[in-house]
Amino acid sequence: MNALTLDVRNVTKRYGDGETAVTAVRDVSLAIQPSEIVLIMGPSGSGKTTLLSMMGALLHPTAGTIRLDGTALSDLSERQLPPIRLRQFGFIFQDFNLLSALSILENVALVAELAGSKRKAAREKATAILTELGLGARLDFLPEKLSGGEKQRVAIARALINDPALILADEPTANLDSKIGHEIMRLLRRIAKEQGRSVVIVSHDQRIRDIADRVLWLEDGRFKDVITMTTDPVCGMTVERDRAVSVERDGEAFYFCSKGCREEFLGRLRSEDMGGCRSAVLQRAGSVFAHLASGARDGHASD
Amino acid sequence: MLLARRNLTHDRVRLVLSITGVALSVMLILLLSGYLAGIYRQSATYLENAPGSVVVAQQGVRTFAGSSSFLSSDVLDSVRTTPGVAQAVPIVMQAAVLELHDRKEIASLVGYDAAQGGGPWKLAEGRTPEADHEVVVDQVLADQHGISIGSALTILDQQFTVVGLSADTSLWIGSYVFAGAEAVQTMLRAPGVWSAIFVTPSAGVSDADIVRAIAIPGIEAFPKTDKIEADRRGIARIYDAPLGLMVGIAFVVGVLVVGLVIYTATVERRREYGALKAIGMKNRTLYRLVTRQALIAAVAGGLLGVALAFGLAALLIALRPQFPIVIEPGAIATALAASLVMAVLAALAPARAIAGLAPAEVFR
Ligand SMILES: Nc1ncnc2c1ncn2[C@@H]1O[C@H](COP(=O)(O)OP(=O)(O)OP(=O)(O)O)[C@@H](O)[C@H]1O
Ligand SMILES: [Mg+2]
Repeated sequence: MNALTLDVRNVTKRYGDGETAVTAVRDVSLAIQPSEIVLIMGPSGSGKTTLLSMMGALLHPTAGTIRLDGTALSDLSERQLPPIRLRQFGFIFQDFNLLSALSILENVALVAELAGSKRKAAREKATAILTELGLGARLDFLPEKLSGGEKQRVAIARALINDPALILADEPTANLDSKIGHEIMRLLRRIAKEQGRSVVIVSHDQRIRDIADRVLWLEDGRFKDVITMTTDPVCGMTVERDRAVSVERDGEAFYFCSKGCREEFLGRLRSEDMGGCRSAVLQRAGSVFAHLASGARDGHASD
Repeated sequence: MLLARRNLTHDRVRLVLSITGVALSVMLILLLSGYLAGIYRQSATYLENAPGSVVVAQQGVRTFAGSSSFLSSDVLDSVRTTPGVAQAVPIVMQAAVLELHDRKEIASLVGYDAAQGGGPWKLAEGRTPEADHEVVVDQVLADQHGISIGSALTILDQQFTVVGLSADTSLWIGSYVFAGAEAVQTMLRAPGVWSAIFVTPSAGVSDADIVRAIAIPGIEAFPKTDKIEADRRGIARIYDAPLGLMVGIAFVVGVLVVGLVIYTATVERRREYGALKAIGMKNRTLYRLVTRQALIAAVAGGLLGVALAFGLAALLIALRPQFPIVIEPGAIATALAASLVMAVLAALAPARAIAGLAPAEVFR
């Protein structure tokens, strides 16, 4: 795999024409850097899936260009796209979309074979990846025999097998409980950081934002200002900084989900003042904040 | 392709349904065409076993079992004296109603001269007729009506005694009954009158030469093969359209069964095929995938159908020996080819369904 940059420039997608036309994505630009994890969030119908599909060369933009390291994907014909989808992108779907008639090993190996691997080599490679993802004991199982989290790990193995530069995932945790969802997200983060792949995730799930390097907010087909999120130091909830209840202490701002949490925080500060460990609380809260703030600083949005 | 096989075997019920569908269709095609082939063969057996290679009959009378052909002894004499004629065997043939104890049966009554030929070619039991009022009847007919050697038989109000049973002489309607020529002529009140003469040319003389040489007014000579062909066409006029229609329906039903099964299986796996497209499988590969599924089902069904056809044909022949079902190698080849065509046609609808699948749809 070589590190590739995906460059989306002034891309618009309109479905249908005339009176019934729907503009799902309007003049959106963004660039994905190697080993970057970008999370695209936004309300339902805001165009997230449409944008992701265009980024993965599954859908032609109505206007604008999408370049993968200089190659304009948006100019290629439908016949030229399958090899690019096969080798440059790894797709992860909300409902896994594994082939129900094949064992998980075959599911993964098939994709390597499509890319030209010999059967034996493909099986070996698939075995290695599945084993690394903790599925070594399940190789001959049919997908229906696996739990949701296991299925999604198979899907991740399938997305990885051809060594793609980019992983594109649409709601990868929507069908998983939050603990498993988080595990999957950490796995994706590890893949991005250890293997240098870019990961683009579309999600509604607020709980996964802390693994992203950059969070983009799509609304009505456009990126809105990136909302900086932070963690309520009392209850641990992720809150929007600009809308949160806040308090400033010693030149530093703290954000809370509610007035109740702020009161509790202030109360604790007061009691810890007496106990003398005030600085510890401030430090803990501060460090979480700093981490998220740096994530937000890198993020940029175009509108 | 592994996936094609797995997709098929994953849904056992579907696989069984589609294989059975093709098998029944192929079986029906084979039985129907075998039935027709049996009728054709029956219609030709008498002539094929009759002596000679040229037939002489009254002008314009080519079906001498039904409408009667009358040839006088003079005609026989002049045929015999025609140069190039090595042998001329006359027979008299008449459709007759047999009065059996339980019901009436139609038979082709053949009067022949045992010394010359034209009689039964395979005797299952007994002997050929020697005296007047002795007959050989078809074995199948005899079995069905409890006739055995020594039984009495009434034909056109005359009493006969069965002295032999012949094999291979049943007809799709009725059967052959053989008696001495004179006995038949007497019964028909037409002594010395023949229906047809079978001519064997001398060495070095062709059928065409004989046909040309026999130039008697009101009389016609033609190669035996022409007559067989004409009979065949006569049967074809009656049977080809309905049997062809039934074969066609069987074929269409086969296509529909496999098509429907593969189509629903494809539509059900729509998301999987969509995912394969998104992952980068080419349309062509996907078409191959569904076509292969249809092919596997159709070939398995075709082979099973051939086996079933043979089994059922044997059973039918055992139960109803007068309806022979002849499954010819050509018919088997055609039926198997038909199953392949079924597969290809059956794969069309699913292939279209896949072609119309946008790769981005998997994200919906
Ligand atoms: N194939 C299509 N034909 C017509 N309109 C479409 C099509 N796909 C999407 N749309 C419309 O485009 C808009 C954006 O859809 P999209 O699926 O990209 O939204 P989304 O942000 O992924 O929503 P969700 O969070 O519900 O998945 C919607 O208004 C949708 O109705
Ligand atoms: Mg969506």
